[in-house]
Amino acid sequence: MHVIPQLVVSTLLLGGIYALIAVGLTLIFGVMRVVNFAHGEFLMLAMYLAFWCFALLRLDPYVTLVLSLPLIFGAGWLSYRLVMRPVIHASHNVQVFTTVGLSIALQNLALVLWTADAHFIRTPYYAVVVRLGGAAFNLAQTVAFVIAVLATAALFAFLRWSYTGKIMRATAQDRQAAALMGIDTGRVYSLTWAVGVTCVGVAGVLLAPVYPVYPTAGLQFVLIAYVAVVLGGLGDMAGALIASLIVATVEVVGSYLIGTAWKEVLYLLLFIAILVVRPAGLFGQRGAEAIGT
Amino acid sequence: MRHAKWLVAVIGVVTLGLGVGAFVQAQQGLSGEYKIGVLEPLTGNLAAEGKRHLEGMEIMRDLINERFGGVMGKKLTFVVGDAVDPTVAASEATRLATQGGVKIITGTFSSTLCGAASEAAARQGVIYWETSCVDPRLTKRGLKNIYRTEIDGTGFGWYNIEFIAKHLSHRLGKKPNELRIAYLSEDSSYGQSVTETARQRAKQEFGMQETGVEYYTFTTNDLTPVILKLKGQNPDILHHIARNQDAILFWRQAREQNFEVKAVVHAGATGYGSPDFGKAFGNDANGPFALIEPGVGFLIEKLRPEGQRIERAYREAVKAKTGNEIAGGHQLAGGGLWVLKLVLDAAKTDDPDKFRAAVMALDMPTGSGLNGWGVKFDENGQNSNPRVQHYMLQWQNGQLVTVWPEEFTTGRGKWIPLGPWDQRK
Repeated sequence: MHVIPQLVVSTLLLGGIYALIAVGLTLIFGVMRVVNFAHGEFLMLAMYLAFWCFALLRLDPYVTLVLSLPLIFGAGWLSYRLVMRPVIHASHNVQVFTTVGLSIALQNLALVLWTADAHFIRTPYYAVVVRLGGAAFNLAQTVAFVIAVLATAALFAFLRWSYTGKIMRATAQDRQAAALMGIDTGRVYSLTWAVGVTCVGVAGVLLAPVYPVYPTAGLQFVLIAYVAVVLGGLGDMAGALIASLIVATVEVVGSYLIGTAWKEVLYLLLFIAILVVRPAGLFGQRGAEAIGT
Repeated sequence: MRHAKWLVAVIGVVTLGLGVGAFVQAQQGLSGEYKIGVLEPLTGNLAAEGKRHLEGMEIMRDLINERFGGVMGKKLTFVVGDAVDPTVAASEATRLATQGGVKIITGTFSSTLCGAASEAAARQGVIYWETSCVDPRLTKRGLKNIYRTEIDGTGFGWYNIEFIAKHLSHRLGKKPNELRIAYLSEDSSYGQSVTETARQRAKQEFGMQETGVEYYTFTTNDLTPVILKLKGQNPDILHHIARNQDAILFWRQAREQNFEVKAVVHAGATGYGSPDFGKAFGNDANGPFALIEPGVGFLIEKLRPEGQRIERAYREAVKAKTGNEIAGGHQLAGGGLWVLKLVLDAAKTDDPDKFRAAVMALDMPTGSGLNGWGVKFDENGQNSNPRVQHYMLQWQNGQLVTVWPEEFTTGRGKWIPLGPWDQRK
């Protein structure tokens, strides 16, 4: 019984990390219907950004986070213009190959530029742990969790109540009808892609003080983020957050009760089981795959 | 006085001239090139260690060419392949053999890769020379042209328990059969072979008490549940076989959870044996032991003269090339390539049968090769585990210090038992 508080805390902190990555992914899929296989590499690039700012400029990752938001957004927008725009109306196969290609290119670019060595950010507070009610909270992970919840809520509100959000939802529901209503769908897509990349960029900067930074760092998180996105319902923000917490619960509790070797089996079994019962995911609408529903 | 200065100057110039002359002669004495394939993971999750191994190979290659007469009187050159995963390892081994035209392939360091790469090499009829992977199955498949210079995973497990029983137990004030050990390991054949051998020896030879065993995938994002279980088991010693990031994750979360154990013992150049572990934590890395090749404190003069010669030359070359102290990856790759040179020089050919005869005939006592290794291959192509001397190193203030066997080092084990996290300074 004495381990329950810690298991709950570990679940929340781990789920927060997955959610941070999943919300950007689900936004891009929800509006653009593009599965971004390069999502993990944008995470990795943001981790490197935080690392180099810390190593060269002695900038704390949280300062980097604030200062780099426009940069990350700009990088996302540029990557859309250069890579995604030419294939946005192409078949899904072409889009898949494009994002996979982008993923490999970015991974190898990092390898060439910064070698395969792992890098670490050791802030003065990297080992600070808050102990409360029989559980230990890693400070950096706690901040990541809080920002995950806030970011998800902000994105949800943005899509639900802002004019731009409505335009994005309209585009998600029917691209052609939206265009006929005068919506510039090209701009909506570039904005969506840039916001999605910004979300994962925020995740990357926040994770840099917690995990080692290396060219394939994104891979170990992004597979689970895919599971969370599909489980929550493609394009559903709140669904992604809740599904991330479900996956984390299965991982943490399964690891403790059955064994760590079983955790992937467990969450993938749950994943299959839920998709059998609800093919559109927990919160997705069958066939619609729309956001904000 | 003036004459004395002139004399010193003349001697200096002559010495320099002789040195340069010898160097030029060594280079010029090489007639033609001899090319081998080098296969390491240079991209993907294993790239950091793969690149370190390649770097070690390149430094040893240059040393062999510049100071040790090349191989078979020829300049040694490499054709390099990237073995990112087992499938690519196999296809790259095939490419090196068929398009690269090599008769010998060496690599691949990882137990995840060596099986596939060696199988493909065997199909092409080329010799496969493994320097680092420890999967015991590598040399037990009846393939006669596969050789391994490093000990296998069973050797790692054997050594770890030897260290725990013969060194740690009395430092902890307990008999070996009073020690409580928990086993934690990543789930590849590397981790499994080391762990299972250690478990077996600990139980059967020393009657140590096993508190639990747990395997995990090394890319895991959270090890807190495992640490909670370990806290419940209350072991004296944690036998933890880790790859890289998992050792860092475990150590960070163990500290967060205030998990205190009397000693942590690892084996291999990855995980706690990798320089990355020290880079991640600085002095907070103090404490864990890693069974690898000798590091800081190693008494080179304890080796045989021929061992001292290559050991000093290689360490200097690594330091000159990288600016850092030698790492386990360098030592494994360099040590393996050095033995390959000795075999080729003896065989004078890469004909598989004659090469094999030279391998089997090579008989070097412990202390005569790089890392203090000796050589005596068995019929399966596995170097003798007892001759491949290994050493226990401990993280002490940012360095991996050699602490055991004590007759080979000036370093001594500290923090036994480990004690509270904030007192390991």
